[in-house]
Amino acid sequence: MSSTSASIPVESFEKRVSDLPHQGTSKLSPEEQVARAKAVIVSKLDSRSAMELETCIHCGMCSEACHFYEATQDAKYTPIHKVHLVRSVYRRELSPLRWFNRLFIREITAEELSEWQELLFNSCTECGRCDLICPMGIQITSGIRLGRQALAAADLMPPELRALNDEQTRENTLLGVGTDELHEAVRELDSQGIVVPLDRPKADVMLLTTVSDLLLYRQSFAAIARILDKLGLAWTIRSEAFEASNFGLLSGSEDSQMLMAKRVTDAARACGAKLVIVPECGHAYPALRFNAAEQLDQPLPFEVMAISEFLGREIKAGRLKVKKLDGSKKVTYHDPCKLGRHGGVFEEPRDALGALGIDLHEMESHGTTQYCCGGGGGVMMLAASEELRRRTFDIKMRQVEDSGADSVVTSCDTCRMTFERGAKLVNWNRPVESLAELVAANLAD
Amino acid sequence: MSTALVADYLRMRGVSRRGFLKFCASTASLMAMPPMMIPQIARALESARRPSVIWMPFQECTGCTESITRAHGATIEQLIFEAISLDYQHTLMAAAGEQSDDALHEAMQQNKGKYLLAVDGSIPLGNPGYSTISGISNIDMLKEAAEGAMAIVAIGSCAAFGGIPKANPNPTGAVSVSDIIKNKPIVNVSGCPPIPIVITGVLAQILTFGLEGLELDHLGRPKVFYGQSIHDRCYRRPFYERGQFAESFDDEGAKAGWCLYKLGCKGPTTYNACATVKWNNGTSFPIEAGHGCIGCAEPDFWDKGGFYDPLSVTDWGSTADIAIAAGAGVALGVAAGALARKGQNDARPAPEAKP
Amino acid sequence: MKAMTLLDLVRGPLFFWALMIMIAGILWRLSGLIFFRLQSRAAKPKDDAPIVAGLRTVALRSVPPHELEKNITFQHFTGYAWHIGWFATFLFLGAHLSLIKSILGFAWPALPNGVIMVLAAMTLGILLTLWIRRWYNPVLRLISNFDDHLSVVLTILPLFTGITAFTHWAPFGTRYETMLAIHILSVELLMVWMPFGKIFHVVTSLIVRFRTGAAFSRRGVKA
Repeated sequence: MSSTSASIPVESFEKRVSDLPHQGTSKLSPEEQVARAKAVIVSKLDSRSAMELETCIHCGMCSEACHFYEATQDAKYTPIHKVHLVRSVYRRELSPLRWFNRLFIREITAEELSEWQELLFNSCTECGRCDLICPMGIQITSGIRLGRQALAAADLMPPELRALNDEQTRENTLLGVGTDELHEAVRELDSQGIVVPLDRPKADVMLLTTVSDLLLYRQSFAAIARILDKLGLAWTIRSEAFEASNFGLLSGSEDSQMLMAKRVTDAARACGAKLVIVPECGHAYPALRFNAAEQLDQPLPFEVMAISEFLGREIKAGRLKVKKLDGSKKVTYHDPCKLGRHGGVFEEPRDALGALGIDLHEMESHGTTQYCCGGGGGVMMLAASEELRRRTFDIKMRQVEDSGADSVVTSCDTCRMTFERGAKLVNWNRPVESLAELVAANLAD
Repeated sequence: MSTALVADYLRMRGVSRRGFLKFCASTASLMAMPPMMIPQIARALESARRPSVIWMPFQECTGCTESITRAHGATIEQLIFEAISLDYQHTLMAAAGEQSDDALHEAMQQNKGKYLLAVDGSIPLGNPGYSTISGISNIDMLKEAAEGAMAIVAIGSCAAFGGIPKANPNPTGAVSVSDIIKNKPIVNVSGCPPIPIVITGVLAQILTFGLEGLELDHLGRPKVFYGQSIHDRCYRRPFYERGQFAESFDDEGAKAGWCLYKLGCKGPTTYNACATVKWNNGTSFPIEAGHGCIGCAEPDFWDKGGFYDPLSVTDWGSTADIAIAAGAGVALGVAAGALARKGQNDARPAPEAKP
Repeated sequence: MKAMTLLDLVRGPLFFWALMIMIAGILWRLSGLIFFRLQSRAAKPKDDAPIVAGLRTVALRSVPPHELEKNITFQHFTGYAWHIGWFATFLFLGAHLSLIKSILGFAWPALPNGVIMVLAAMTLGILLTLWIRRWYNPVLRLISNFDDHLSVVLTILPLFTGITAFTHWAPFGTRYETMLAIHILSVELLMVWMPFGKIFHVVTSLIVRFRTGAAFSRRGVKA
């Protein structure tokens, strides 16, 4: 399992998470909440969402793709139901037939906004599996995203996410982890003989890391550093913008999301990087690879790759050589939702595993259709989601067991944490490993 | 005119007893009456006073009169018809002018309350001058004659429902008898024209049994002849069921005698006796001759879409209408959309606190 | 002047207005969607053939991967089965093709009446079953509204009344032309409701599938 000889104790991450506020109410009046939520939905709704919201036929099939519904059989977790308030506002305020719709559809209320906090945050990881099954082709995830933004504007984010978003926006730290902690980690790696070039004025590659790497999975950070060093790349990590996690995105605050992305893109421009590598973090990848450019409506002047994507590419191109293991290791690969379904990173991690000679046992739902671990989208931070996460993890355990694999490899800290937490609760004996660490541990000389 | 009994008249005309009874038998069978009724029909007809029938032709084409008087030979039906004494039949009677007017008024006077008024042709209300006899408008004549009548038989679709003159745009303001007369029993014998034996059959029924027992449908037509649709009795029905249709006149299907639904046959919604009794003494009827039923026994049959449009075809307007509807839709949509976009821009929330 | 019979009404002005309302309504609802902001395409796409991807999704979204649909197979199959049956009945019955030909100017060969009857009966059975299911299935009960129920009733009525008219079943002293008129009227009700409720998905579903397939392909995902 995970262990580190860092001076920050390993329980620190979990403790800092559990120290986050778990209660909180909106500071806005009910009228103000409704007004702001509506304003967000009305102003941000785009063409694709509009057409999609006109097209739902209430077939309910989306429920059967959602791990939260599958684990609980509770109808309220039906994905399109989670989007109900967004759809109501659209139909009343923006639909071409809004005058007709208003005869049938009520105004949303502040009570409903509060009620929907659970549905939009606690019981949705924005995993996108529902987007695959909808016979109409509706991307329900877009509606979820907008719903979160609406609740955020109404000051109805879950308290944990509000706290983290505030901290990251104002202090540029997360769970108290900032530049100092980065430097401390770099010093520690240096003492192990791993060189992390800090704040180079000019570099080809800029690496990011995460609070979870620095606090919990420092070996992942170390592994990536070793690999980049092995490849002989001119790389750096920048003190002013090293954090890949984007709690603006996770909390529904689009302004903060853009700010956090801008910090990274500014730093990349400042050092002239041609490639920015996102570490083993899920949401950080699409946030930077796609959302950053889309929000500014300007292409990025550099490439963005997830580390698993980068490793696969380098190995396949022959630039990174790994040892072939004896093939006795029966492993299944868990595709993190935000890297896979939202990022298109499927082949590269498997190329890396193939080169390592791993005996890959795919789960029944793998690649595009794989089941979410149950912790993404900020859900793993929420105390109120604990029971839900426990129940949805049963699905994942069964998938792994049915595949015949002995262990799980993945490339996202949240997935890794969720697996470890879940396994610990029920004494599940299948370990989870990091792809980066696996590769770094088996570099050919 | 003559008040002789029907029996006397028949004998005078050389109808044998045997022939007369044969007629009564076929009448009974045609009207679906049991054989035991035959003597009753015979007695009724024999002893029937020659009731006065006043026949008034209004705005008509004379087709109904032609239908019944088609001279195939002296059929019993014709004789009977003559026997019932057409006291006044403007077209047929020899008298004309003032003499015929006198005949009319005399008949009406003598048989007041007992004569049968037979009408063919519609009544124009647009301008009474459109159709007059001796300078008297149809409507005035009808009202006057109806007053003393025991019942009115509206013969032909014009009298029963308005017929051809009433077809869109109805320039003469044509209406049916029942649109004008509300206080007398009216029997509608529709058809354009009605089948001859249907006319005589109805009259024979009224002669024999009066009006009671003559069951009428919701349009006032005798159910005995108008109670079933052409479709239900059509000999080509199996082809309809099997889906074998003539697609155009004289194509293979038409030559094979297939169903004429696609060529506009209105058999399924038309009620008449054509498919069983047929025309020209049972020779044939339109469908058998290869042309779809045009529904001539039904009200407004001229205005039910085209004769050659199948029943499943509707009046959907024109391409121009569709273009207008489409244009209206797009205009409304574009307006709604532009307004919505403006609403979106206006609703942009205030930026969150700057970092 | 005698009042128009019901059959004349439904074959005349009612059909005209139903058709006009349907066309205007569809175009209204569709045109109103063109002003919404398009998503930015500034991010470099991972795939360079979004049109092919879009078309692929239009076709293949009807056959999702087995691991995805295995929990909802009954609804998945019966849903498509009744759509196929409904459209086959509408588009391949001889009587309907006469109407289509009069509007479009062309038509196509009909299927045998017996085949259509079987399809129509199957479709009716499935629709009734799925409607009943909509009442007691917890997910469907939660998300269903008036539109859902009205739409399914208006979808069932033309089938039911069509079968009764076609088989010349005329109960309670009605006549064939009444049953035929009721059938055409039920179609007109469906036409009028179509642009305003969920049946509008007929117009947008393929477009939505296409756009989603293209969007997924930009992210390097086949969905």
